Amino acid sequence: MAEHTDDASKPLTSLEKLSRRSFLSRAGAMGVATAAATVAPVVASAEPERPQPSGDPAAMPEIPGTIPITLKVNGETHQLRIDPRATVLDTLRETLHLTGTKKGCDHGQCGACTVHVDGRRANSCLLLAAMHQKAEITTIEGLGTPEKMHPMQAAFVEHDGYQCGYCTSGQIMSAVAMLHEPWGDADTDVKEALSGNICRCGAYPNIVAAVQSVRRHA
Amino acid sequence: MEQQTPQPITESKIVGVPTPRIDGPLKTTGTAMYSSDHHFPGLVYAWPVTATIASGTISGIDSSSAEKMPGVLAIYTHKNIGPLYRTPPSAGFSMILDERRPPLEDEIVRYYGQYVAVAIAHTVEQARAAAEAVKVTYNKTPHDTSDKLLDTPTIAGKLKEVTKRGDTAAALAGAAYKHDAVYSTPTETHNPIELHASVAVYKDGKFTLYETSQAVVNHRDVMAAMLGVPPENVQVITRFLGSGFGGKLWPWPHALLAAASARNLNRPVKLVVGRSMMFQSVGHRPAIDQRVQLAADKSGKLLAIQHDYVNHTSMLDDYDEGCAESTGFMYSCPNVLATSGLVRRNVGTPTSMRGPGAVPGLYALESAMDELATKLNIDPVQLRLLNEPEKDESTGQPFSSRHLKECLTVGAEKFGWAKRNPAVGSMKDAEGRTLGWGVAACTWIATRTDAEVNVELRQDGAARVACGTQDIGTGTYTAVAQMVAHETGLPLQRIDVVIGDSGLPPGPISGGSWATASVVPAALQAAQQARKQLLSLSTKTDGCPFKDKSVDELEFVDGVVRIKGQSSGGVPFAEILKTANVRSVSGTGKSTGLFGDPNQKFSFHSFGAQFAEVTWQPEIARLHVSRVVTVIDAGRMINPRAARNQIEGAVVMGVGMAMLEATEYDHRSGGPINASLADYIVAVNADCPNIDVTFLDYPDFNLNPLGARGVGEIGLAGIAAAITNAVHHATGIRVRNLPVRIEDLLVAPGNKTS
Repeated sequence: MAEHTDDASKPLTSLEKLSRRSFLSRAGAMGVATAAATVAPVVASAEPERPQPSGDPAAMPEIPGTIPITLKVNGETHQLRIDPRATVLDTLRETLHLTGTKKGCDHGQCGACTVHVDGRRANSCLLLAAMHQKAEITTIEGLGTPEKMHPMQAAFVEHDGYQCGYCTSGQIMSAVAMLHEPWGDADTDVKEALSGNICRCGAYPNIVAAVQSVRRHA
Repeated sequence: MEQQTPQPITESKIVGVPTPRIDGPLKTTGTAMYSSDHHFPGLVYAWPVTATIASGTISGIDSSSAEKMPGVLAIYTHKNIGPLYRTPPSAGFSMILDERRPPLEDEIVRYYGQYVAVAIAHTVEQARAAAEAVKVTYNKTPHDTSDKLLDTPTIAGKLKEVTKRGDTAAALAGAAYKHDAVYSTPTETHNPIELHASVAVYKDGKFTLYETSQAVVNHRDVMAAMLGVPPENVQVITRFLGSGFGGKLWPWPHALLAAASARNLNRPVKLVVGRSMMFQSVGHRPAIDQRVQLAADKSGKLLAIQHDYVNHTSMLDDYDEGCAESTGFMYSCPNVLATSGLVRRNVGTPTSMRGPGAVPGLYALESAMDELATKLNIDPVQLRLLNEPEKDESTGQPFSSRHLKECLTVGAEKFGWAKRNPAVGSMKDAEGRTLGWGVAACTWIATRTDAEVNVELRQDGAARVACGTQDIGTGTYTAVAQMVAHETGLPLQRIDVVIGDSGLPPGPISGGSWATASVVPAALQAAQQARKQLLSLSTKTDGCPFKDKSVDELEFVDGVVRIKGQSSGGVPFAEILKTANVRSVSGTGKSTGLFGDPNQKFSFHSFGAQFAEVTWQPEIARLHVSRVVTVIDAGRMINPRAARNQIEGAVVMGVGMAMLEATEYDHRSGGPINASLADYIVAVNADCPNIDVTFLDYPDFNLNPLGARGVGEIGLAGIAAAITNAVHHATGIRVRNLPVRIEDLLVAPGNKTS
């Protein structure tokens, strides 16, 4: 699986089918606005249909109490209707269906929802989407794909820098931001810089190894 | 059920080889689908209303204003949630859950945070606002959340005997060297970073439930029973799980709220449990008091062990932590008695948390061993070596594979234990900080449970392996692929692993560290059966060069069918299938478990030794775990890379258990007061010590043909005791009430216990 290609004739493994990105890239639908389809069920038994288009507000039934906003994510501009109280995190996950960004606490305490806002890392659960209409937001999906991973993503695979993978998006977004922050070279700098990202599985030694391997080659 | 006893497999090109996880590229790119990532047209959101009292009855629920809020679809209470049933008694590993009362069953409240209603709305924000606008009034009755457990009334009225041999009372009375102390561990909360979640889809009487589950098959059975539908009308899916540590083994009430709401509204419902709710209604490791009494002769030979423990449980459910699990076999000792007691408190129902029983139990026993060593003036490693048993003295069975002595001696060597000066506070590091060195032994059960696996060899050149188990972060996807790669010779890239779905052949729970060991025999057997079918097909297919050969003349090597021993003239299996116009050949393997089998010949356990170093700076009251050496005897590692990660992660959790973690109940309200990740402190990267992991290589072929046992839990066993023993060595203060708090280390000299 480490050597992904875009060869559509290669049979997808079930794991690859579980990858939303993999499906989208094969279907040629790279934008969330056009992300609509049915993934072949992994098991023959009934697996319900997949999300409908989310990016076209005109096509969506208007939910009472929602407001129109514009959000720029991973270089694409989306016209959306959201609840005015919606955080960037919930807007990414529930409206744009960019579910790579994870919710772990909703209080800015765990780091699982880390994204880049105008190039700096931020806990997206603490940001209101309606107040970030001019921001450039980058999520884990904007960093790389299984077929073409960012060096930090590849380093996490190489160094087993995760177990369950749930905090991993946040760890990687923090680690990539750290590359542009004024830290020293030591392992202890990485440990300090990434201490806002909890890994309950405790893969910390491997996370440090992964980040250091990228920093040494940066 | 096993048709044959396969031979031990000692050589492999892939089993035992450090292997990157096959699901790694999905996890690092945000494309792996966890339960709450699933979305469906028309999906709406649920947000529970939780009780703000710990005991009493609901006198009224006013949802009139909440129902009028924008986007709100329904508010369900005990009056209108619709039918939800209790489960019949569990049998084996089926129909298990810890909180047996369905949510919203009646108006009675037994713990703070119990669900009393649920709001459903179009957006998550609307649902939450509506839930907060529901006005619930209560008739409050007195509650009890006290953490004083020992010597308080137990449910049974007396302590239950867990294991007994000899005459412990007489031995304790007559011994020259004795130790007697109480060790307390607090309520601990699992806190996987993935919040518990359910996405429930209801269509034509059938439920498809995307759950955060460590046991999809059991989850299906429980949900079907509680929803009152046949099991075939429920499918439970957990493709990726953001870990669980035991907290996601069995269904919790929120899953029923989501499923019942989906049924009532006939549309998909997503319910994500909030972090504060994760401290209330999805289980926890209970608070435990343990009294340990040891007696020894002058040489250090143990004469008596008495281990009495009491843990809290909830008002309705009986959860026994099982702290004496290893007390009977850990050491050689003629007189052993262990007892257990449960006391009721107004708390959510406890559940298994990583290493249930043994982890808190060994904290007490291994702390006591350290204290005994000090009294005897014997090196603590030596004391353990002196009391090594020849067999499991609690059952009389031989150990299948026990190398605890080697764990201790190898660990001592790697740690540099010979340089330890036993005098308290006598050792300093280069910066002048006081060093403390501590050791503890550890053990964890090894077993297998029932498993069924299907392997298909497909026309597209891939092998599909299917099993109703799940990967909770331990590396099951990769381990299963390695097993099938070993048996078929196919590269990992061509092994298609399908797990995490209750519709698949029933597989083991991801708990007890036995998922891997359980899958091994069935996976190998399934691959062998598929190979047999392939060879048979080869001899019966027109146009195939092996037509009319005997199956015995053929072999299947590296994905190619060929005449035995002939490296040329082989045919890739995909071509044979194409020639025959057969889409796939398949085989099913079934293995029966050993768990609870009274006739098993061996005592199966893993063992290990934990060595910990702390640095102590009394001038600024700073304590840090700086170094851990751990040596593990857990059979063969299928994937040493993932196994090492498991042990390292368990050590990190052990640092949390020893130094940081405690759920504190506010006895005024009865609610967990530090119910957030800012106030319930878990170890972060900066808390992580240098960790040196060694695996002893003793495959346990009595357990399965690959000799694999399991490594999910053993790394956490013993670590808290090793750390508190190191704290004593550094400071002279014996902490018997976890976690170690800085206040404990500031007590006046001469009063050095906490």
